[in-house]
Amino acid sequence: MPHCSPEQLALAALREPLPASDAAHLDGCAQCRAEVASLQRGVDVLAVPALAAPDSSVPPPPAVWAAIAAATGVHSAPRPEVVAGAGPAADTVAPPAPPPPQAERAAATVTPLRPRRSRLLLAAAAALVVGAGIGAGAVALRSGDDDGVAVAAAALDPLEGSGASGQARVVEQDGGLRVLEVDLTAPGLQDGFYEVWLIDEAVEAMVSVGVVQGGREVALPLPSGLDLGQYPVVDVSVEPLDGDPTHSGESVARGLLDT
Amino acid sequence: MTGVLDRRVAGPRVDRVPPALVPPAPEPDDAEVGRRFAAGDEQALAWAYERWAGQLHGMAVRAFGPGPDAEDVTQQTFVSAWTGRAGYRPDQGPLPAWLVGVCRHKIADTWARRDRQRRTAEAAVAQAQAAPQVGGPLVDAAVADRVLLLGELDRLGQPQRGIIELAFFEDLTHAQIAARTGLPLGTVKSHIRRTLERLRTRLEVDGAALQS
Repeated sequence: MPHCSPEQLALAALREPLPASDAAHLDGCAQCRAEVASLQRGVDVLAVPALAAPDSSVPPPPAVWAAIAAATGVHSAPRPEVVAGAGPAADTVAPPAPPPPQAERAAATVTPLRPRRSRLLLAAAAALVVGAGIGAGAVALRSGDDDGVAVAAAALDPLEGSGASGQARVVEQDGGLRVLEVDLTAPGLQDGFYEVWLIDEAVEAMVSVGVVQGGREVALPLPSGLDLGQYPVVDVSVEPLDGDPTHSGESVARGLLDT
Repeated sequence: MTGVLDRRVAGPRVDRVPPALVPPAPEPDDAEVGRRFAAGDEQALAWAYERWAGQLHGMAVRAFGPGPDAEDVTQQTFVSAWTGRAGYRPDQGPLPAWLVGVCRHKIADTWARRDRQRRTAEAAVAQAQAAPQVGGPLVDAAVADRVLLLGELDRLGQPQRGIIELAFFEDLTHAQIAARTGLPLGTVKSHIRRTLERLRTRLEVDGAALQS
């Protein structure tokens, strides 16, 4: 096994799980581990819980604004009843939509922020305690993939000598979002594009998942609630730029998800 | 036909206009608050406080617990942001994200100040007792490096800064960052790599930990 790529070592420094082969190599390679350790110093300095994105709202006491007004000399003033975090709805996180124009907007003005996960932050905090605690044990935590839990995979085999092939896998990220990662090897197209579909085994019902290019790994989000058991066939088609959203019928690669 | 025309020319019935279409006092959206903030509109500072002081104070309280230190951080965040508003570029990101960045600096500065005070107090105790100074230099180094690297983040352009902040501060994987930003996975990975190299270089050149 050759050394891990520089990008994979950077992901290891962020404590993302690596693909199994990279994790195995890292486990036994002092040179790669030293590189991870040197990149990880910056991670451990900054990725600490106290600097993480805000996760809860606490209304500051009125004296805080008074001091700000005194220091800046501004004559405007916030309405105390509107300061985000005041009132019973303090912890409500609003969707990223324009605030309603009506009153009662205390909750709606809270900056929308996703609930913070703790994998990296807890790991970073632990590393600060135990010192330079790195190595394969710190990176190969999950099932041998680098960005979530792979729940299904398929080899994409060429159809009718198309010359297109590749890999696809469904990764469930923390938070439940599933993405279809497609790594396609295929010739470039002059006037058209490659589109990925999930199709049922009868090849009658299908869901368009997105557009891919040859030679570039793409992660396509999947609709929540989509039953992969019902649509187990990953299909790559060549679509002309004709404005017709339906499948062209020209499939170039296909594989069956092993769920 | 005549009947249709008749209904059409009758005009809308005023009493059925939805009230939401004629708000009594429309408030600007977050982007407009950001633009007005950058332009020095005092009302925008008050709006920013209404909308984000709770989140920022929540960060400060998480770092220091409720009390004077947290309140100082929140106050200094808004004062610094207002006096330094020329440094806020609305086209580089939303105002609340920029305010969170300012707040991180204030938290790190407060750690550094507390650390200096602690060292001064310990030195005084050690001198009084003629004993070796307690407390390792590593603690000081970590505090100083945090200030140093937060400053280095400020020098990053977009999208590098947004990418590394999502990794560091929102704990997203590179695939999640790609999904969130719409950037290709390979682009996200190479930016992460280059930014970590840059932070490493900064630590090697100016960092306290490696020099002590």
